[in-house]
Amino acid sequence: MNVLVGLVRPDAGRLELSGTIFDLSGWSPSSALRAGVRMVHQRSALVPAMTVPENLAFGDPRTGAFFRPRRARAAAEALARRFALEVPLDRPVEELSPGQRQRAEILRALDRGASVLILDEPTAVLTPGETEHLFASLRRLRDAGRAVIFISHKLAEVEEIADRVSVLRRGRLLASLASGRVSAAELGRLMLGDELAPILRRARAERGGERKPALEIRALSAPGPDESSHLRGIDLEIREGEILGVVGIDGNGQRELEEVLAGVKRPTEGEIRVRGERVALQPRYLRAAGVAHLSGDRETAGLVPGMSLAENFALKGSYDDRRFFRHGRFDRAAARRAAAEAARRFSITPPDPDFDCAALSGGNAQKLAVARELDGRPAVLVAANPTRGLDVGSARFVQEQVLERAAAGVAVLLVSSDLDEALAISDRLVAIVRGSLVAVPPGSDRSAIGAILLGRAQA
Amino acid sequence: MRALLTAALGLASVGLLVAALGYSPGPALRAFVAGSLLGPSAWTATLLKTGPLLVAGLAVALCFRCGVWNIGAEGQILAGALAATALATRGPADAPALLLAPAAALAGALGGALFGAIAGWLRAMRGVSEVISTILLNFVAIQCVALAVQGPLQEASGAYPQSDALPAAALLPSVGRVHLGVAAALLLALAGHWLVFHSTAGFRMRAVGLSPRAARFAGISPERTAVGILVLGGALAGLAGAFEVTGVTGRLYEGLSPGYGYTAIAVALLARLEPLGVIPAAVFFGALEAGAGAMQREAGVPAEATKLVQGVVVLLSITLAAAPIFRRAPAAAGRS
Amino acid sequence: MEALLEATLRLAAPLLLAALGELVVERAGLINIGIEGTMLVGAFAGFAVASATGSAPAGVSAAILAGTGSGALFAAFAVGRGADQIVVGTAVNLLGLGATALASRALWAGAPPPGPTVAPLFSGTAAEIPWIGPVLLRQTAFVWAGIALAAAIGLALSRTRAGLALRAVGESARSADAEGVSVGRTRFAAVVFGSALAGLAGAALSLAQSDTFTEGMTAGRGFIALAVVIFGRWRASGVLLASLFFGLATALQFRLQARGAAIPYPLSLMLPYLVTLAVLALASGRGRAPGDLGRAYRREAA
Repeated sequence: MNVLVGLVRPDAGRLELSGTIFDLSGWSPSSALRAGVRMVHQRSALVPAMTVPENLAFGDPRTGAFFRPRRARAAAEALARRFALEVPLDRPVEELSPGQRQRAEILRALDRGASVLILDEPTAVLTPGETEHLFASLRRLRDAGRAVIFISHKLAEVEEIADRVSVLRRGRLLASLASGRVSAAELGRLMLGDELAPILRRARAERGGERKPALEIRALSAPGPDESSHLRGIDLEIREGEILGVVGIDGNGQRELEEVLAGVKRPTEGEIRVRGERVALQPRYLRAAGVAHLSGDRETAGLVPGMSLAENFALKGSYDDRRFFRHGRFDRAAARRAAAEAARRFSITPPDPDFDCAALSGGNAQKLAVARELDGRPAVLVAANPTRGLDVGSARFVQEQVLERAAAGVAVLLVSSDLDEALAISDRLVAIVRGSLVAVPPGSDRSAIGAILLGRAQA
Repeated sequence: MRALLTAALGLASVGLLVAALGYSPGPALRAFVAGSLLGPSAWTATLLKTGPLLVAGLAVALCFRCGVWNIGAEGQILAGALAATALATRGPADAPALLLAPAAALAGALGGALFGAIAGWLRAMRGVSEVISTILLNFVAIQCVALAVQGPLQEASGAYPQSDALPAAALLPSVGRVHLGVAAALLLALAGHWLVFHSTAGFRMRAVGLSPRAARFAGISPERTAVGILVLGGALAGLAGAFEVTGVTGRLYEGLSPGYGYTAIAVALLARLEPLGVIPAAVFFGALEAGAGAMQREAGVPAEATKLVQGVVVLLSITLAAAPIFRRAPAAAGRS
Repeated sequence: MEALLEATLRLAAPLLLAALGELVVERAGLINIGIEGTMLVGAFAGFAVASATGSAPAGVSAAILAGTGSGALFAAFAVGRGADQIVVGTAVNLLGLGATALASRALWAGAPPPGPTVAPLFSGTAAEIPWIGPVLLRQTAFVWAGIALAAAIGLALSRTRAGLALRAVGESARSADAEGVSVGRTRFAAVVFGSALAGLAGAALSLAQSDTFTEGMTAGRGFIALAVVIFGRWRASGVLLASLFFGLATALQFRLQARGAAIPYPLSLMLPYLVTLAVLALASGRGRAPGDLGRAYRREAA
């Protein structure tokens, strides 16, 4: 969709709109706008510091040379009423809740009278009532001859609103069918695929005896950029060898939780204990206590682009790892040896310790991160979206490593927006919704979990 | 090799400008080359100019590598010169050379470090961008020197706004006119290289410079690193200033530094922020300054032409550079 | 008192003009520390042309043109190539210093003879009105232009579509791009405009505040303009007030000196910079910089 609206340049492609053929090379947002293609993004594309009327006006040629605040506000109000989407009009967008922001985005797209309207997971933050209104508006648009592309993973909604359904998986179009002709079950099968059965958890023999808690989090609260990502009093406990999956829609506090557990965000209250001992929430102390951190984002994972494999392997130890840092000196030779060994063991390509980490592929970079984090024999592994953006083989590898560690007694906190992954490898699931944890009953299926993730989402 | 190209293009463009302004390029060029490269006195002039550029350029390179935009080398040089002069002329008059000369150098380093620390404090505690604070401190430093040489440090005869001549014990030993400071500068560059690539502190510096975010996850504090490097950079520049008064001029006066601190920025960029690269880059600009002086004396071309070369070199450096270090944004002015 | 107010306005004018230019640039998301060099180039060009033609207005036009050229240079590298804005700004300063010094030595062997200056806007009977006369009406066009521009820019940023689009580019280039606003073109235009104003500010120095050109005569005013933008919280009204504040501080400094050198000259020269530092230290933390300030923008390729 980003290609369609001109934000990402394609390698090749052609677009046909109402019989006119457009060549997509050189496609830009203005070309898309001129062709009448508008998108409502998941990541808000509104200017945060401006109000909704201002956001509506600045890109709209109909505004004319002068911007009249009162007139613009009145027009925005009329628009909102027409589409039954309630949005505060006097505050800057950054002060609006995600639901309000979403509605403002939809409003802007509808305002321009797009001939093709693309909505990316629009109902994620809408209440059921607002969803109904949205659907009514969409039906009206459809009846007026517009085309609407509705991107969603919610099968029930798809069934309700769509005339036709197309399924994409891993960059390929799998099927495009009239909505009446395919059941939800079949859609599910198409979406998840039956090639490569998801990673199987090894049957875990029930362990005799009590497994001690490895990680305990009490009353953890931390600020976030907006309403729904503040952490509010998180309590959780993970035992040795247990994998706890934290699932949720992005923006509900996962990043904040990860940052606190990595030691880079200070919580407003709360504490954690590793193996019963209280640990200060700073990278150095966390590391010393045996808490490792894996992330799907390279920089968050602590991989410095421009530094070599060896240097990145040694990176986290600059304060306490005497293997590489002694007497104020960085022992590059030792780091190179260790990195070469790790590259061999984890099949990192190229296995050259002086290779620039920035040039590593996603999979290899992640392997390096895994190698580094597991090197210290951690007691707890915090893994946040560790397979994001990875190819199947690399993702598989990472998941296998996680399972192996768990089998060896490491407690794993897996924060993942990939429900499949979480379901596949976790022993237990918990949902994070608006910064709080919500229990997921064991044996819940996808739609039950989906319902939990959405909560009673009020804007 | 890109550096060579940059340097060559810089020279060429100014040659063109000089010709355009109506000076005959031939005699100008001849005077230039003779004044900087031909003969021992030319080399002396070049080396004397190279010294401060080496140390200050090193300071700037280290700072820029960390993502810290230290534009205040000029002020830090002057602060160092001031501190060194104060100690040498108002300190114990009969101190032995073995103590006084190093003490003066140390004072210089402390003076420069102080100015760096002020910028560091403002950045860490008040979120003031070091770009602006270091520039403003430059002007403050210039006036501090003026204040000193018109007042408490003024020479005994009170004839001119300059300090007393520094006691012989404070002066750096030299071969001919080339003082020890030049050799020290060379050693400092080598030390700088060791620091960046082989020390723990340098390791952390590099991490912060390449990715403050990743460094943070590794337990390294970009804020603390920034302050530290401002202090170190200031100290080095201050040392350069101390060497100037104890090795070249022998006294403090207004206008001591003909913009060394700003030239140091061009030096650092030409060196692609590599400590070892600063050595040839400093020699290049040192020769430029020396040659320009000769060019002015003999062909009448104003020495300010060198500023133009510096500007062109800076622009060319970033045009021809692919290094990510040149693509990062500074902390938003007014917010860290 | 009248004299103090008059001096405040007169001294604030160059700062105000340069700061307004930089305001527009920063609202578009760029930091141009090369204003110092641009002002100098404007001061030189203005004076040179005015001296040569005998016409101050011609000089002013030349100054604006020179500023525009300097801005184009900055934009070519900082916007066109996405190069680091601080480094490009430093280069512009070096080039400005060097070029003006070189050119001024080439044209005049020593100090240049005084040149024509811009006359006060009103004279005659109107200028005799007590208070308003000396304080306002007798000011040069630079002061009036500064105040008028402050109002115009403030209005444009909040009440015109172009202004909104510019702010969008500075706050969130991605959002602006998605709406079809050309980030590159907007930024280029903002830089050229801002530098044109800086050139004009330079003319205010060499054609009104003094009647000649001296090397390095801007003496850091360009950098103080940067602080004025921050101090003014990136709003035109704030910039106006902040410029007046600095103008007042400078006027007071001159007063104190004239009254008898209780304060040594260098110390009073230091004051504007110290005041700026103090103001920055105290004012930072409140007020909002444009969201994308200082960041080069490039649309993602697949």
